Amino acid sequence: MKKILAFILIGSALVSCRKEEVGVTEGPNLTDIYGTFSVVTALAPSQPTVDFAAGETVYFTAETSKLTDWKLTITGQTSGAEKIIEGVGTTLSQSDATWDGSTTNFPMFQAEVCDVSLTFDGETDTLTTTVTVGAAKVNQGFVLADFETGYLSGWTNFIQSGGNMDFNIKTDATSPQEESYINMQGTVNWDWLIGLLDFNATAYNETTLPLSDNASNLYFNALVYGEAGLSNSLVLFRFDEDENEDGTFDGASEDQFQKEIPIDWVGWRLISIRYDELDGGGTGDGAFDPDKLNKVSVLHLANPSSGFAKSGLDYMIFTENGPLQP
Amino acid sequence: MKSIYIGIICIFCLFDVSAQKGKKVQFMGGARSLVSHSDISSDGDTVTAPRSTGGYALLDVGIKINPNKNTEVLGMFRINNAFGGFWGGGVTFGVRQLYVRGVARDIFRYHIGNIDYKLTPYTFFNHNQDFLTSSIGTNRIKQDVVDYETFYSNNTWRQQGASLNFALEFPKIVNEVEFNGFVTRLNPTNFNNILERLYGGGNIIVTQSKHVQLGINHVSVFDLAGTAVDSNIYNNNVSSLTYNLTFGEDDMIYGLDGESGIGSTSQALFPENDLSDYFIHARGYLNLKKLGLNIDLGYMDNGPDFRSFGAQSKRVNYNAENTFFNRYTNGQILRAISAYDLYNDPTLYNQGISVGLMDYNPAINNVMPYGIATFNRRGAYLGASYHDKKKIVEANTKVYFLNEVRGQGTEALKSFLMANVGVMVHANKLWEGKKEWNVQLGLMQQQTTRTGEFDFENVNLSSTQLNIGLEGEIVDNLFLMGNVFMLSASGNEQLPVRDNDDAIVNYQAYTVNGRELNISGGLRLDFSQDVYLALMYESNANNFVTDAAYQLDQFSIFYVMKF
Repeated sequence: MKKILAFILIGSALVSCRKEEVGVTEGPNLTDIYGTFSVVTALAPSQPTVDFAAGETVYFTAETSKLTDWKLTITGQTSGAEKIIEGVGTTLSQSDATWDGSTTNFPMFQAEVCDVSLTFDGETDTLTTTVTVGAAKVNQGFVLADFETGYLSGWTNFIQSGGNMDFNIKTDATSPQEESYINMQGTVNWDWLIGLLDFNATAYNETTLPLSDNASNLYFNALVYGEAGLSNSLVLFRFDEDENEDGTFDGASEDQFQKEIPIDWVGWRLISIRYDELDGGGTGDGAFDPDKLNKVSVLHLANPSSGFAKSGLDYMIFTENGPLQP
Repeated sequence: MKSIYIGIICIFCLFDVSAQKGKKVQFMGGARSLVSHSDISSDGDTVTAPRSTGGYALLDVGIKINPNKNTEVLGMFRINNAFGGFWGGGVTFGVRQLYVRGVARDIFRYHIGNIDYKLTPYTFFNHNQDFLTSSIGTNRIKQDVVDYETFYSNNTWRQQGASLNFALEFPKIVNEVEFNGFVTRLNPTNFNNILERLYGGGNIIVTQSKHVQLGINHVSVFDLAGTAVDSNIYNNNVSSLTYNLTFGEDDMIYGLDGESGIGSTSQALFPENDLSDYFIHARGYLNLKKLGLNIDLGYMDNGPDFRSFGAQSKRVNYNAENTFFNRYTNGQILRAISAYDLYNDPTLYNQGISVGLMDYNPAINNVMPYGIATFNRRGAYLGASYHDKKKIVEANTKVYFLNEVRGQGTEALKSFLMANVGVMVHANKLWEGKKEWNVQLGLMQQQTTRTGEFDFENVNLSSTQLNIGLEGEIVDNLFLMGNVFMLSASGNEQLPVRDNDDAIVNYQAYTVNGRELNISGGLRLDFSQDVYLALMYESNANNFVTDAAYQLDQFSIFYVMKF
């Protein structure tokens, strides 16, 4: 009995001598959260010049004494394009502050010098640096239209004869991608349709557009403009499939898919739609066959009683494996 | 629906006939009816409908069948009819419990189906972490309802699975070796990202003599590989050694008992999140029977990475929403779970153990929110209990002096003090009256402090639970009941915010200065030991939420029968 008692007492005493955990704490340090804010390491890019077209990326580093919500803003000095990266922590590193040349607020970046600023929620400090874009990011995919070379000969259109009608390509600094876009505006008080543009496969010397047959992996992307003070515009994208591949779309026996977008924003916005999430179907086999697409139409619509309507369109591109990361 | 009722009645009649022949079939169960009318008021609230009336009647009927002397089968179903329900509307049917148990070959006790199980306080145990004071009177009635609905009894968890028990007796060296084992299912697979999760374990208890008892215990939460596409196998293993060494005889008994062991958690795909730690709990005790005095002195050291979800699961699910006056004020904010709700709403409680750390209310229990198995606690406690010879007064007290083992966000450690006092006075014994008059006092005081180099490290949180109960028999079988329950808390704390893997990722600055006061009274008429009718009125004032204090008044009628 005494042996058992001694064994338990000694055993308990031995294991109860827990090694003191000097310097060991659990969770983030309180001083990182509630302490005084100061900059430990200044903001710096991992490289001064970056060639996004060659697949390069650039990341930024900085360190502060206190855990904060930080916001990194990259602004193109020429284009005015903006990329915003946000995070939480005391450091910026490759894992959370890498820029691949993509854009948050249009227009897109071009080869230019960019201003970079780092701000912290609740703090007045702002850290700055610059980085030079040697070549802008190149997006992979089939570009249906970016309007940089004017109207292609195979494109067709129908414009109502209303008031203030303008379906022309514009070249100015407001273009979200490169320098040109198409304006779509007018007043039509007898019909919803203001005007439409047909992007026929023949314009690309094809009978069907050169797209993948995998509708669940194919995305249609477009940059669409919304005018301040106007929210009556609707843009309808229509996709005509030439299922029997006879070179023409037959609405009586072939599928037509579509997506209607109400323009309820101001400025340029990216619209991305997975092909198999389009609406409609029509009178064909009902299957999504993007490899049989022979025409994409863009219709600018508005309620006839709503008066003047204005929108814009740029950079329509089909991408695979995910939506466009502009 | 009518045919279902007729069918049930016919089955009863058939079983009743069998029952009379040799008790091979017995009926058991209970019935309860509750009607309440409630009124909530909050300053300036013109949006919330202030009154609510409701209730239900339910019947639990269990059929216990003994096909032979060694086997018992129990099936219990429930009919619940919300007031106003009629012929289907508001009526629900359900199976409340189902099991088979028996003795195989006169050696092995088995139990399959619903099992109420526990092992040791650090392996598998249903701690009551939120009511640290006990109740008699009106609150006792409500507490009984909650316990009945949640199957909380004797610190067991209700599980679905199987258990086995057998013992071997020896003529020499040791008296008996007892073996216990169980396996239960925590969750089924969805064949995709959720694996089949089981909980199993057991213990071997060696009783050497009436002076020495040793136990080896092990429990494990584990996923069954291959039952889903996901291959992130999870494990929580806890092993412990328990002991109880008793000395002395009759008037003076003293000894040492305790439990020590290790716990670990692991995920196959995220080994960086593995945790492992140990715990020690040892207690010396001295029982002086003649004096009616028991004293114990204990030491505990629960490592910061010790996890034992069978013992750390909380009863109360603080992420649940109230089902009663869920929102109030003109802004229709959610009404936080209060002590009133904990006494009245069984749906706020868990029915089983939870894998992962559950949220807790620091105003209620910040010292040991996961019971005695709470991790990251080290220190000592001193306890005593006393009763006089006639047991007119029974009193007990326990004081814990604890510290963190590892600091959270700072090397400064929190200190915890918890003092608990309970006194029961059987007043009728003073005048040797035959009609019972009992008064109970429960008081719990908690204090959490931390002092660091910077102001933001400082923590100072105190809370108090006071529970005074009264039960007195006015005339034969008619009892007067009363209760005063108060919970108050004030101060500040830095509460850890944890991610899905229970790692601390941030802190929530918590400040509180509030009080909940519940005063209730009523009458209880006992028709027999197991049947009573109670009428009660309670008034509950709660000002824990700044600018959203409220008062709840409620009148209730309980009819409770067990058979």
